[in-house]
Amino acid sequence: MQHKPTDIELIQQSLAGDQAAYAELIRRHQRFVFTLALRFAKNREDAEEIAQDCFVKAYRNLQSFQGQSKFSTWLYSIVYTTAMTHLRKKRIATDSIDDEDTFIQIEQKPSGYDSNNAENRSRSFYLNMAIEQLLPDDAAVITLFYKGEQSLEEIALALNMEANAVKVKLFRARQRLKEKLERLLKHEAKELI
Amino acid sequence: MNSMDEKLWNYIDGTCTPQEHEAINRLIEQDEVYRHKYNELLALNAEFSNNIELDEPPMAFTFNVMEQIRAEQALKPLKATIDQRVIKGIAAFFILTISAIMLYVLFSVNWSAGGIDWKMPEFKIPQIQISGLLNSGVMKAFLFFDAILCLYLFDYFLRRKRTAKTA
Repeated sequence: MQHKPTDIELIQQSLAGDQAAYAELIRRHQRFVFTLALRFAKNREDAEEIAQDCFVKAYRNLQSFQGQSKFSTWLYSIVYTTAMTHLRKKRIATDSIDDEDTFIQIEQKPSGYDSNNAENRSRSFYLNMAIEQLLPDDAAVITLFYKGEQSLEEIALALNMEANAVKVKLFRARQRLKEKLERLLKHEAKELI
Repeated sequence: MNSMDEKLWNYIDGTCTPQEHEAINRLIEQDEVYRHKYNELLALNAEFSNNIELDEPPMAFTFNVMEQIRAEQALKPLKATIDQRVIKGIAAFFILTISAIMLYVLFSVNWSAGGIDWKMPEFKIPQIQISGLLNSGVMKAFLFFDAILCLYLFDYFLRRKRTAKTA
């Protein structure tokens, strides 16, 4: 069986000038980085730009990665800062956790899933739709916790927060996600009746 | 961290203390409301773990990033890419050579001899017939070489412009 190099091995090879090793590192993490960028940017074009920027920044600063945390944690912290800078540039208000006005409009617009056939309307489909309607911070914490294989401490490191603050954020994000999911499913049930 | 939901989420995540864990365990066993809520949150947790999907970036994503990195490296000024050790090595070579020559000169001077005559050595410039060299063949070759150089310079500028645009 062929040995699959670890992230650290790929980093060492990249630092020695092996660009193919870095390409492999990108392939390994691109889906998650792109998803995380999409949670902040809310559109694919911006998300792609943020994700690309992250990998270029990571390459530039690869020498400063000391291996004290997981490479993914270090990479997600770059995603977070890059996304924040990008959003600041685009003047999208993301810092207020209670300001959901922007997202209420999206939530009340059912046209996006009207055209899809009933088969696609599974709980999974609605769950991912509900995540899209969350605030960027909430969506990012949920994604990092459930898909990024990150502990609360690692999420805290990536988002530059206290672990306790992340714990509270995760709790609130789950509550909001649950409410949004229930609302979407209720809407769907009404449509079917 | 007081509500039932918060306590149960901490219990599910395993972030509560052993005492809290024990207390919640007892509550789930004895309290019907707690048990019901616990099962509900557990199902929700499983749903979040299994059904959240990751988005797929465009097909050429990796290629685009690597192109961006390559373009960035190509734009780096030459002095940044030359290894500092090479520069230091060259400097050391010249310093050593000059020092050796200086030492040799200083030791080979006859300090006791007085009245040194400091005359510059005489050079005889050979007479060259320049008009004979500048015939039409030489001129054509010279112009051809110039044209090649111009084309090379033009190509260099065009390439630099394109690399900057793609970066």
